[in-house]
Amino acid sequence: MTQSPTAKEPATPRRRRLPNLGPLPWIGPALLLIFGVVLWPTFEMLRTSALDISISGISRGLTGLTNYQNLFGNPDLPGIMIRTLVWVGVVVVLTILISLALAALLNAAFPGRRFVRWALIVPWAASVVMTATIWRWMLDTFYGIINRILYDLGLIPTFVNEWLGVPDVAIIWLMFVAIFVSLPFTTYVILAGMQSIPQDIYEAAKVDGATGWNRYRSITLPLLRPALLVASIINMINVYNSFPVIWAMTEGGPGSQTDTTTTFMYKLAFRFQDIGQAAAMSVVNFTVILLFVLLYLRVVDWRRA
Amino acid sequence: MEEVTTNMTKRFNGLVAMGAAGLLAVAGAAPATAQDTTSIDMIAAEYADMAPYFDDLAARFMEANPDVEVAVQVVSWNDIYDVINTRVAAGDPPDIMNLNYFANFAADGLLYTAEEIVSAETLEGIIPAFRDNSKYDGVEYAVPDLASDRLFFYNADVLEAAGVEPPATWSEMLTVCEAIQENVPGVFPYGLMFGPEEAQAEFIMWTGGNGGRVFDGENWLINSAENLETLEFLQTLQDNGCTPPSIGTTNRTDGAWPLFAEGVVAMVNGSNFFPGTLESTFESDVNWGVTEVPANDGKESITLGVQDYFYAFKKDGNQEAVQKFLTFLYEPDNYAGFLDAAGGFVPATISAGEAMSSDPVQAPFIAALPSAVFYPSDQAQWPAVQGAMQQNLGTAFSGADKQQVLDEIQAVATGE
Repeated sequence: MTQSPTAKEPATPRRRRLPNLGPLPWIGPALLLIFGVVLWPTFEMLRTSALDISISGISRGLTGLTNYQNLFGNPDLPGIMIRTLVWVGVVVVLTILISLALAALLNAAFPGRRFVRWALIVPWAASVVMTATIWRWMLDTFYGIINRILYDLGLIPTFVNEWLGVPDVAIIWLMFVAIFVSLPFTTYVILAGMQSIPQDIYEAAKVDGATGWNRYRSITLPLLRPALLVASIINMINVYNSFPVIWAMTEGGPGSQTDTTTTFMYKLAFRFQDIGQAAAMSVVNFTVILLFVLLYLRVVDWRRA
Repeated sequence: MEEVTTNMTKRFNGLVAMGAAGLLAVAGAAPATAQDTTSIDMIAAEYADMAPYFDDLAARFMEANPDVEVAVQVVSWNDIYDVINTRVAAGDPPDIMNLNYFANFAADGLLYTAEEIVSAETLEGIIPAFRDNSKYDGVEYAVPDLASDRLFFYNADVLEAAGVEPPATWSEMLTVCEAIQENVPGVFPYGLMFGPEEAQAEFIMWTGGNGGRVFDGENWLINSAENLETLEFLQTLQDNGCTPPSIGTTNRTDGAWPLFAEGVVAMVNGSNFFPGTLESTFESDVNWGVTEVPANDGKESITLGVQDYFYAFKKDGNQEAVQKFLTFLYEPDNYAGFLDAAGGFVPATISAGEAMSSDPVQAPFIAALPSAVFYPSDQAQWPAVQGAMQQNLGTAFSGADKQQVLDEIQAVATGE
């Protein structure tokens, strides 16, 4: 007697579950995609980082945290970590500053503006590997056009001059190219932000007698804040993950003296033949990127509010 | 390009066939046919443009053996390590591999023994010294395909203009360098290359002439006093301006060799196939000569021997086909064609070796072989050590502490 109500109860959720399954055919492919290209690889990455993998790439079973111990004991790692930080910081800050100027220029009306806007898209449209490879040969010690130009201008005593083989100099050139390829996207994000600022605010400020610089500082910059934040964080993620610029120009060399954590991860697997340690490195990279993404989501939320 | 297309087509046909077979199996319409043909695939190293040779070889082989299907993919030296690593790690190794190391795969129990992949007759025809270098833990797992060794190339015109003979010792090396700087300005005396392509080779040759070794048959000796002394001597060469500036990033094929071919660099280390490269790839008219790599005063010069291999991965039912194909490749005419396509290497078979010792270009290289120190490619750890040497030795010339550089590589070797 007391059983009959309890026995009935499951029937209601069951009936309810059916309509809940309704959207499944529509969201199913998306769920599969998320599982297949996000969750499963993440799980495999975590698992690999805990495996003992031979030089041939054969798993010899679980090894706990050994790969992480090896990674954090790697004498090259501290330098690479610091370089990665400087790399992301310098490239993102300079990209934003230059893009602000470029966006202001493109926002102004002048004859031929359309062509300048087109020209700015070129570094974006061109493959990054291609751009980086061209720079690598322009900077070549013996055959580079840059050496030739500097020599013809009398700025260097011989046309044989090393750029990419000297770590401290190479990293500056890498940053230069990374900024160069980041500019178009950033400029367009900021330009879009600028064009969304209503003109009447400027007119009102003009009537009140604000100078050009004042208008820029008190109106443009504050109202650009959302665009700037989004551009910064997306750039941080892109620059942190940036592989082709460094790989095409120096392969992180000499040694690991121009590596960031991203190129080092690849190098651990394919040059040092240590897949376990590379997996540990990618877990660390993944964590950092996750933090950036969380930051991005918060910023987007904040914008909506 | 044509090559790629044919391979793609083959693979596509294979997929279609597999799909069709699957459908038939599901429908149960066809009787279960015994698998008539065995398909094997091989990854071959790109010594030169090898594709035409292998296309022809595979076609002739398949005509004679309709029950075997062979697909050969020729991969450049730049990519071949990534390709084999990825395929083995993914559990899909090729049936036959052509590379300069094998011991790590043997250590993981993935390989057939040499006896299992070529006929006994073929194996007996291989030069015994090369067979000795094809063992892991006393068992022969690989069949040598060819070998090379290195000598010291010099630009005879530059040395004559500088009024010096080719250097035989380290101190002569410094004198020759000075003479070239004085009399032939604008020419860099020596093309030292410690970029990631060949750092390990350059290092082993120079330190070998100082009595330094990387491995002595039992122990790794990378951070020895002799090896440190060698790096310090090479640093002196750099400090004296005897080398181009970017030692740590100078490679062979896009670095020191073209510079030698253009006469910008007066001396460089090169292997058997360098004369051919100078002539055909660089179309160079440099008047070159060869001599031994200079040794430290009072020490013996060595040459670096590099031996490459064919070996086969264990897979169900592939052994017979593999053995047939490799044995076919080693038939004298086919093997001569292989050497010809590769261009300027020391043959691995006794008969081809005898034929080549009368070749004036190759004779000095064959004469130098007895003093050859080989890569310790019979050590399972070697691929990792080679990677560490290629990556890190160059940093010794861009400010890193030399002892520390050697210690770190030693740590990779000993796994500490």
